[in-house]
Amino acid sequence: MGPDDVLLIVMLTALTLYAILGGADFGAGIWEFTTAMQATDRERQHIYKAIGPVWEANHVWLIFVLVILMNGFPAAFAALSRALWLPLLLALCGILFRGSAYIFRSYGTGSGRERVFWESVFAIASTATPLFLGSAAGAVASGKLMIPTDTTSAVDFVVGWISALTVFTGFYSVALCAYLSAVFLLREARQIGDEPLTTLWRQRALSTGLWVGVLSFGGLVMVAIEAPALAQGFLNRGWPLVIASLLCGIGSLVEVWRLNCTRAAIAAGGAVTAVIWGWGISQYPAIIPPAITASSAKAPDNVLWMMLGVISLGAVFLLPALAYLLVLFKREQRLDA
Amino acid sequence: MTLLAAATVTDQLLPARLQMAFTLGFHIILACFGVGLPVLMLVAEWRFLKTGDRLWQTLARRWSKAFAVLFAVGAVSGTVLSFELGLLWPELMGQWGAVVGLPFTMEGFAFFLEAIFAGIYLYGWERLPARVHWWTGWPIAVSGFLSAVFVVTANSWMNAPAGFRLVDGKPVDIDPLAAMFNAASGAQVTHMVVAAYLVTGFSVAAFYALCLLRRQSDEYCRRAFTLALLLALVFVPVQMLVGDWSAKVVARTQPVKLAAMEGQFQTERRAPLRIGGIPDAATRETRYAIEIPGGLSFLSYSDFNAEVKGLNDFPAQDTPPVAVVHLAFQIMVGIGSLMALMAAYCAFNYAKHRAWPQTQWFLWSAVGMGPLSILAMEAGWVVTEVGRQPWIVYGYMRTSEAVTMAPGVWTVFGTTMAIYLVIGVATVTALRRLASAPMSEVTHGA
Repeated sequence: MGPDDVLLIVMLTALTLYAILGGADFGAGIWEFTTAMQATDRERQHIYKAIGPVWEANHVWLIFVLVILMNGFPAAFAALSRALWLPLLLALCGILFRGSAYIFRSYGTGSGRERVFWESVFAIASTATPLFLGSAAGAVASGKLMIPTDTTSAVDFVVGWISALTVFTGFYSVALCAYLSAVFLLREARQIGDEPLTTLWRQRALSTGLWVGVLSFGGLVMVAIEAPALAQGFLNRGWPLVIASLLCGIGSLVEVWRLNCTRAAIAAGGAVTAVIWGWGISQYPAIIPPAITASSAKAPDNVLWMMLGVISLGAVFLLPALAYLLVLFKREQRLDA
Repeated sequence: MTLLAAATVTDQLLPARLQMAFTLGFHIILACFGVGLPVLMLVAEWRFLKTGDRLWQTLARRWSKAFAVLFAVGAVSGTVLSFELGLLWPELMGQWGAVVGLPFTMEGFAFFLEAIFAGIYLYGWERLPARVHWWTGWPIAVSGFLSAVFVVTANSWMNAPAGFRLVDGKPVDIDPLAAMFNAASGAQVTHMVVAAYLVTGFSVAAFYALCLLRRQSDEYCRRAFTLALLLALVFVPVQMLVGDWSAKVVARTQPVKLAAMEGQFQTERRAPLRIGGIPDAATRETRYAIEIPGGLSFLSYSDFNAEVKGLNDFPAQDTPPVAVVHLAFQIMVGIGSLMALMAAYCAFNYAKHRAWPQTQWFLWSAVGMGPLSILAMEAGWVVTEVGRQPWIVYGYMRTSEAVTMAPGVWTVFGTTMAIYLVIGVATVTALRRLASAPMSEVTHGA
């Protein structure tokens, strides 16, 4: 295993954490979006309180993935920047509006109308961001992503990445975020002993969970038709993770039903982890299949080793700090309301 | 075909550069507060812990709320920039990512720690014991500082590329540490970090100077004003020395940039220092400037008779737009001089009366210095970035070689302007609301 493989593992880990932690934060906004007509102020407060202390940190996992790609696999970074021009711009738009709307909503003490405005912006942007990031991921997974050159036509630059699979993964990501978020919010509602909210989020987690399950099967069929190379990778190497994601998914639904909320949250996270790692392992060693692989895109080994050194050193500071943050605001505690 | 492609690159270059300049110029203001405000918060909270005076705590809390707003907007505008490095300039990282990427990786960690502790500090007022809470503010200040160091290190490499050998147009024998510790990094990083403290100090002081102009005896405003101004004034003399150091580094590493900054068209010994003046690219001379004989030679090389290279020594296609760079440089230095005057006046006044100047006139000048300090910092970045043109990696890659060929960059730029306008206005509105909230509200919840 070379340093590029170790770095890929680090990058995939960061991506997984972004998908779970950042995804749950997006999911909270997605719930606001989809229930805009019904959400009570209490529900909203519950959501904002849950993501308040952690969303900034959760967002940084994305930056982390980006800098590793930029530094460790520069050719892949450049290729993705060209190929995913439109979806990344749209995702950026979402990121900008999500972050700023959240803060204006919580710190602006403006009129009711102004707050409603930022609440809506937050909800829409929270939905748009995973939609576009998810479709960008799908475009990579499809194995058909065209890397534009200087002579590529404007039309191909703008729409070349779109395929049936990208549309699917866009919506699939939104669904996953919504499910994660429902499970996490269920856990928080239960912790503060709020009966009505617990019932609400349990119901929502169960219904989205079932939908995500159906979508997942649909996704496998889609991959088999649209991305035969990836499907082959699933058959050769990725299948244990497909099974793991299935088991975790079912497990989390069962635990939601039984109101073992922490277990449900862990299982839901496990399901997402298995999906991402299943994808990564199935397309390994390609970063952007078929042509761009880890070894063709990587920086020289001495650079990668130095990065790994920096990352290890950084982790010594980062991991305890992160643990402190999560324990402080997310551990099981019933006293603080 | 080649002609056609060349025309297209030119079409791409202007909107892409405008987009980068505008988003960077927006973010850098927020970044300054991300570096500087935590220091003010920590000092105020420390005074509270020391004295038990609630007013200090109120101050720390208010600043922490302002910090929350600025940090959140800064985090997303910073995210935009990191994506733009690829979206607008795919070849910059594609070619050089292995060389210059390491400080970005380090910055990733610094930003992460800042975000984590921002969460803990902002939401921890009630949850943590007072002293522990104060300590959780430290990592914010330290990692904010380090973020600035790492990012500017990466930028300094674009000015003074190092840490590789070029073989067949590709970098080999890459040494990321040598790239980080390049000839420009020390001066440029220090210059920017000090600028961040100056911008924070002067801007915050400006805000409370306005408050003092309305309510002369307001203790809360007086303390905030004093503390912020103190932060700024301490760094004024430091910045003068660092600025001089920066100029000497530029003279050594990028003589053409220095020539543009100074409007020096002809190579000459005993080159004069020009104050003001309008560089005329057509007649190749800088007119209407006040000239101090030998001044530029001395400031650049510590020798009144040293030879300073003029723009005529460089091929026309390798020189930056002189007028913009010269003007921006004059603005930065001019404002810097005003800061120095202010610092000297305060020091003199303190030595004489053991007190801060309290006159209306002084307060108004403090109000003006807030926006001026931001203008000076932006002008400094114009000097650095425009002065490096036409290169994106000085001497190795032209900006035109790195630019994206994606369509619609003008549209992206227009949209970005609109979005940033909304976010900018909303940020200022949110800050003003926080400032005008009644005192009692400040003590509840984060």
